Amino acid sequence: MKHAALCLAIVLMASAPAAGQGAEKLPFVYTKWKQFTVKDGLPDDHIFAVKSDGDRIWVGTENGLALIDKKTAKVVKTWTEKDGLPWRAVTGIDVDPKTGDVWLALFGGGLARLSGGRFDHWHQLNSGLVNDVVYGVAVENDNVWAATTAGASRFNTVTGEWTIFTEKNAPMEEIWNYGVHYRDGKVHLAVWGSGVLEYDVKANRWKDYLDPDGEMEIDLYRDDGIVHVITTGANYVDNVLWVSSYFGVCRYDGRNWRAFYNMDSGLPSDFNNNLRARSGREAWFASDKGLGAIMDAETNTWVAYTRDPKSDTGKAVVTRDKTVLETVEMGLNLPHNFIISIDVDATDVFIGTAKGLAWGIGEGYYSGLRERPRMLAENRREEK
Amino acid sequence: MKRLAFLVVIAAMAAPLVFISRGAPAKPVYVGARVCAACHDGAGMGHQYSKWLLSKHAQAYAALSKPESWEIAKISGLREAPWEAAVCLGCHSTAFGADERDVDQETFRREDGLQCEGCHGPGSEYASEAVMRDKKAAMAAGLKMPTKDDCLVCHLEKGSHIAVLPNPTVNIDEAWKQIAHPMPKPAKMGGVREREAGEYTGSAACGACHRGEEHGHQYDVWRRSPHARAWAVLSTPRAAELAREMGANGDPQSNAACLKCHSVGAREDEGVGCEACHGAGKKYANDATMRDPVAARAAGLRKGSLGECNGCHNPAHGKAFDAAEAWKRIAHPTKLPPRASEVKYKNPLRMALRPGTDELWVTLEAGDAVAVVDTRTKRVLAEVRTGAAPTGVAFTGDGRRAFVTNREADSVAVVDAAGRRVETTLPAGDEPHGVLVAPGDAHVLVLNTSSEDIHVYNARTLAFEKKLAAGRGPWEAALSPDGGRILVTNMYSNLTGFRQPLASEVTVIDAARARVEERWLAEGTNLMMGIDWHPGGRFALATMNRTKNLVPMTRLLQGWTITNGIAVIWADGRVDQLLLDQPGLGFADATDVKFTPDGRLALVTSSGTNRVAVIDVEKMLRVIEGATEEERRRVLPNHLGKAAEFVVQWIPTGDSPRGLAVSRDGKRAWVANSLDDSIGVIDLERLAPAGKIDLGGPKEVTKQRLGEKLFHNARITFRRQFSCHSCHPDGHVDGITYDIEADGIGVSPVDNRTLRGIGDTAPFKWEGTNPSLKRQCGARLSVFFTRNLPFTPEELSAVDYYITTIRRPPNRYHTPGTRYTPAQRRGKEIFERTRTNDGRVIPPEGRCVFCHPPPYYTNRRRFDVGTRQALDRTGLFDVPHLNNIYDSAPYLHNGMAKTLEEIWTVFNPYDKHGYTNDMTKDQLNDLIEFLKTL
Repeated sequence: MKHAALCLAIVLMASAPAAGQGAEKLPFVYTKWKQFTVKDGLPDDHIFAVKSDGDRIWVGTENGLALIDKKTAKVVKTWTEKDGLPWRAVTGIDVDPKTGDVWLALFGGGLARLSGGRFDHWHQLNSGLVNDVVYGVAVENDNVWAATTAGASRFNTVTGEWTIFTEKNAPMEEIWNYGVHYRDGKVHLAVWGSGVLEYDVKANRWKDYLDPDGEMEIDLYRDDGIVHVITTGANYVDNVLWVSSYFGVCRYDGRNWRAFYNMDSGLPSDFNNNLRARSGREAWFASDKGLGAIMDAETNTWVAYTRDPKSDTGKAVVTRDKTVLETVEMGLNLPHNFIISIDVDATDVFIGTAKGLAWGIGEGYYSGLRERPRMLAENRREEK
Repeated sequence: MKRLAFLVVIAAMAAPLVFISRGAPAKPVYVGARVCAACHDGAGMGHQYSKWLLSKHAQAYAALSKPESWEIAKISGLREAPWEAAVCLGCHSTAFGADERDVDQETFRREDGLQCEGCHGPGSEYASEAVMRDKKAAMAAGLKMPTKDDCLVCHLEKGSHIAVLPNPTVNIDEAWKQIAHPMPKPAKMGGVREREAGEYTGSAACGACHRGEEHGHQYDVWRRSPHARAWAVLSTPRAAELAREMGANGDPQSNAACLKCHSVGAREDEGVGCEACHGAGKKYANDATMRDPVAARAAGLRKGSLGECNGCHNPAHGKAFDAAEAWKRIAHPTKLPPRASEVKYKNPLRMALRPGTDELWVTLEAGDAVAVVDTRTKRVLAEVRTGAAPTGVAFTGDGRRAFVTNREADSVAVVDAAGRRVETTLPAGDEPHGVLVAPGDAHVLVLNTSSEDIHVYNARTLAFEKKLAAGRGPWEAALSPDGGRILVTNMYSNLTGFRQPLASEVTVIDAARARVEERWLAEGTNLMMGIDWHPGGRFALATMNRTKNLVPMTRLLQGWTITNGIAVIWADGRVDQLLLDQPGLGFADATDVKFTPDGRLALVTSSGTNRVAVIDVEKMLRVIEGATEEERRRVLPNHLGKAAEFVVQWIPTGDSPRGLAVSRDGKRAWVANSLDDSIGVIDLERLAPAGKIDLGGPKEVTKQRLGEKLFHNARITFRRQFSCHSCHPDGHVDGITYDIEADGIGVSPVDNRTLRGIGDTAPFKWEGTNPSLKRQCGARLSVFFTRNLPFTPEELSAVDYYITTIRRPPNRYHTPGTRYTPAQRRGKEIFERTRTNDGRVIPPEGRCVFCHPPPYYTNRRRFDVGTRQALDRTGLFDVPHLNNIYDSAPYLHNGMAKTLEEIWTVFNPYDKHGYTNDMTKDQLNDLIEFLKTL
């Protein structure tokens, strides 16, 4: 038996392509990046929210809102309080797919709608919004959801009815809502201390996802549920729930949970501020130490994008489990390793950091893994 | 018998259990007077139930089917039949505002009128004997002891009742005595005795079908008759006296000889019911049998005869009995005599030419139809009934389909144009006005004025696609000549802030994608209504008012209080403004505008002065382009002399011209004379009237019609600058505040208030100093508003009458009788609460219902809710009614609260406007959800 195992190991080692040799199944790596900072016309470098909207990119900052035209890659318009933006800090953005209206979560200022250049403003004094500290916003059919520090609010734009969800009427053990996301008939709330709450729109029913081991400091039993009840983001795509937290991230396919940590995956850090899932196999995580993208959940294949602040260059490291498959030096990628917000479209990614916005251009993007030669380390700086 | 009475008491006690067994009981619930009757009758209880049966309260519901109720409903601004109108039911029945969960379906009957619980509160929790023997416990369980003030909620004089009824007023002190029903001390519990029903079903069973107009209100006719009180009357001293005379001893209500004629049927308390004359009904009282006369007769239905009457009535207690006369009095034919026919006018509003034809389609607001007019023969080809108050009309590109907005029905009728029939009706938002079909029939846009949004439908599949946020009061839409853009006017100014200048939005929509692209502002304007693009595409014209609401109404400079004109909306979003007023002669209520196909002329209607202004477009542009920037911004919008430079003709029209249409060849124009039911024809070569097309409305000018004409005419105002309609379009509000001389000059504006359904909400004015509409619209109007000779007494009477008939739209958030949403239901509990969240008793004046009792939700008094501002001369303000409160923002006496929430989150720091500061945010949300249902 020992002999057979040794033979198998030799065969497996022999079949693995060596660095720089042959083709193996690898994920797509973003090597073309553009950056936007105050120098490029953004109102502030602290990028709290980003939303891709067709040919446009909406950028929410600590001191204003900006609009980037994808065709020209220019900041074409900005709004601060002087321009009618009801509050300076924009922490969440969603776009109504039918009307094109842009909904803004305002950190301390409530909720706003930008429609045809006009800002409409809802706050806790003039409306039924439960609290003015709004972290996230999501459009769900005719409703707009707001994740606030005092619960979630749902605004029915047809009837004008406001509904507040707190511990009184939802399984919300804590009411500090960090994130809200809607897709495929389900609203997901990421709640500080209350895990992830799922609201089934059709059934008008709540379901909670908690960490069953009940331990705050450790994930006692791996893959028994979400990694921690303090969650920062939740996305539901292809019937898969992705969750980010300050203690790792996880994925739930409706049957099995899978946790991902820095110690055994390509996740740059367990401290994750947010996430954006592109599919059931691919999700992007905003960590305090760079950008982590799990490109193929099944094989635990990641690409971690980081920037070296000393050399002002960036790299992408492709890993499977904890094995490094490839390192791509690329010069410019992220303006900062502290990532706060992410959005993706079919090919591109948009990364809000503590010092500007990064736009990863997915020329030749493919989903999952593909046989390709390993990329040689590049050290080129993209034209802005 | 004692055993039966005991069972009734047990049944009454068990009533709440019925709800418990159903789960989620709604407490407390209304159980109905008959449950009270189980204990509260008989000499030992002061015949309390019988006294109620003898009172008008017991007939209150039945009174609603009297012919005069229709007129009362009409001048209360109601749309529904009186017996269905929430406002009527609020005083004429019990359990107002309750949904099905708030009443015991088995024991409560709305038809029993104003019952015990109307004054004493819903009884499920206190109705049991055990609770009722402990007054404190009963009060804690919801038993109320009403005061005379409670009576006044309904019995305060109402203009509608005064105008119609011979004895409309109630002396409360006297009435209090009349309805007094003290309990003897010591009391001895009695009650209506149950009897074996045998073959009887009871009159209520008959009433389940024999009600409503289609059955001649037969049940109500009986309820109003002495027969229904025949048993109750036995409780009176006179009955006892007569009984003694007849040699019958004891309680007449227990005496078989008396009961023989005074109580026939399933329950003794129903007196002489239907079955007394028609025979016991158990076998025939079902729908299938009753539809077959032979079967019904075979099952025991009798016709009733004079002979049977004579059995009891001739002789009766020595009174002569005129059988024939009595027969007439109790007649209850199925078919009612026709009501005095309502004169039904047409009120043409807007028009559109049907593509590919010579047909002009005209919406008839009062006719609930669209008239199809042949412009060649000047004849009405057809009328297509579309719904309540049709307002806008638009066609698909091929002219096969028309879309008609029904303002009062909140719907869009889709009309097969050739077939002249409504294919289907689409639900719209609140009060849809304008409608436009986008190029290629891609979309239909419907402008919902009251809900301030635009519905987008697929023009082919008719599927609802989306809702766009509009400005305030989207009114009319115009497509750019290249088909790329749609401009939408909004009749209300944006809520710019307390004491801030007006600014109205022009909403710019990408026609292909049906998305709002931009929002332009016309500073200083309101009532932007008609709009049309110049064929060249450089600009559009829209009608507008410039209302000087922030300066004293005494100021004459630059055209006094309201000036009227047009906005020139350039394709880049710039807006110029020009007045059509002339020195000494206003152009009140500019309503619609249309260009000639060559773009040389623009026509504008003035519905307040019955004219069409003809603008020479080139000259108009010269005025604008010849002005400096400063002049364009500050001078032209206020210049009364400029119209003379570009208006080339003033063409007189019929009464109250509204919509315009221009022929494709540019030779003729048509103008909808809304208040003389005609289409005026204008010869555009001669720029002169060229006849009228009669739409076939009544020629008679009723009092209501005279009032309507006066209301919409600016003749009453100095220089004819505005009409009543200018501030109250569609009888509603213009959404802004005015500073009138009565209580301030430029320093203390007051919010404009709706005229819809206000006839019975006197006093008027925010300070509540005008006790009647006559006072409000009489000399006061001249002194403080119109600065002209007042209406003559006849005119004043007509205007007041018309105002009372202005209808309030149906509530969009709740239909009476239907279930409340969970939030509304929770809000209702908060509205009616008597304790704070921490259990403190809220003093009566701190409760919502104290000042805002149903059905109008006003006690019609003045109250200080802590909103007095430094320059207000009083803090006491009229308590406003709350019906449809959601559609009349801003709020409070001076409009300083932009939303309902702000009334309490900002302007009620000391709980003077109700105890609200203990409430959580979700409770306030619930309260507001309920307020929207009123």
